[in-house]
Amino acid sequence: MTDDEIRKEHDIIEKSKKDPHAFGDIYEKYFDQIFNYILRQTGDDELAGDLCSQTFVNALNNLSRYEFRGFPFSSWLYKVAGNEVNKHYRKHRGKIIFSIEELKVRELMEQTSDDWDEELIERLIQYMNELPTEMIQVLELRFFEDKDFREIAFILDITESGAKMRTYRALDKLRTNFNLKMKYDG
Amino acid sequence: MGKHEIRLRKQRFTTRGSERFRNYGSVLKQHEEEKRIKVIIKIFTYFLIIAALILIFAVVTRWEQNQDKTANNTSVTINGNPQTK
Repeated sequence: MTDDEIRKEHDIIEKSKKDPHAFGDIYEKYFDQIFNYILRQTGDDELAGDLCSQTFVNALNNLSRYEFRGFPFSSWLYKVAGNEVNKHYRKHRGKIIFSIEELKVRELMEQTSDDWDEELIERLIQYMNELPTEMIQVLELRFFEDKDFREIAFILDITESGAKMRTYRALDKLRTNFNLKMKYDG
Repeated sequence: MGKHEIRLRKQRFTTRGSERFRNYGSVLKQHEEEKRIKVIIKIFTYFLIIAALILIFAVVTRWEQNQDKTANNTSVTINGNPQTK
């Protein structure tokens, strides 16, 4: 996102604080992104639709508290969405479902392994089921949402070094166990 | 098994797929409703605080009046002879 785009977005947010109708542009712009982020953490499109709506309602309700911290507005929406998903799982005490796109997994495998097959993907997923959930959250934001560590730290409410450490540990485990050439990019 | 489960999904939800969930009108409506409820709760809270302050003031005033009355009715004993003020 360019500085000009961020400034423009900031103007819309300021306007939305007085007139919620102006927030419609932001809604249209980020709906798909936030919907897919929630869907990836629930695996249920109906539930993702509900949580996505609630995310935007919460964002509107708390817009007066929003402060620009150098990130695109979407980072704040990711944070609100994450809180909404956590609230849902706390309430229903269910197992967190990470529903990831097969296509993206194949793309990642192409980049990181010379001789991958379906069995390797299956074993990899089984292995990742055993990793701490916090690690999966960081990996999801890093490799499926293409967020940098500063933004990940903001979204998950952790320090930047914490985000780097989680990613490094997770990748180290994957490299050791599956001989993947995943880049850390820290 | 951990606290989560990773599942593979065939494809990414496209704009067309998520279209049926996209409805800014209902988001706006819900926001207005929640805002109204917030205002009502705020007004009710202020009302409760003011009522509590008035109650405390009334109790303190009454207690002070009772104290004055008691002081006026206190019998003073001079040289062993009780006298009422």
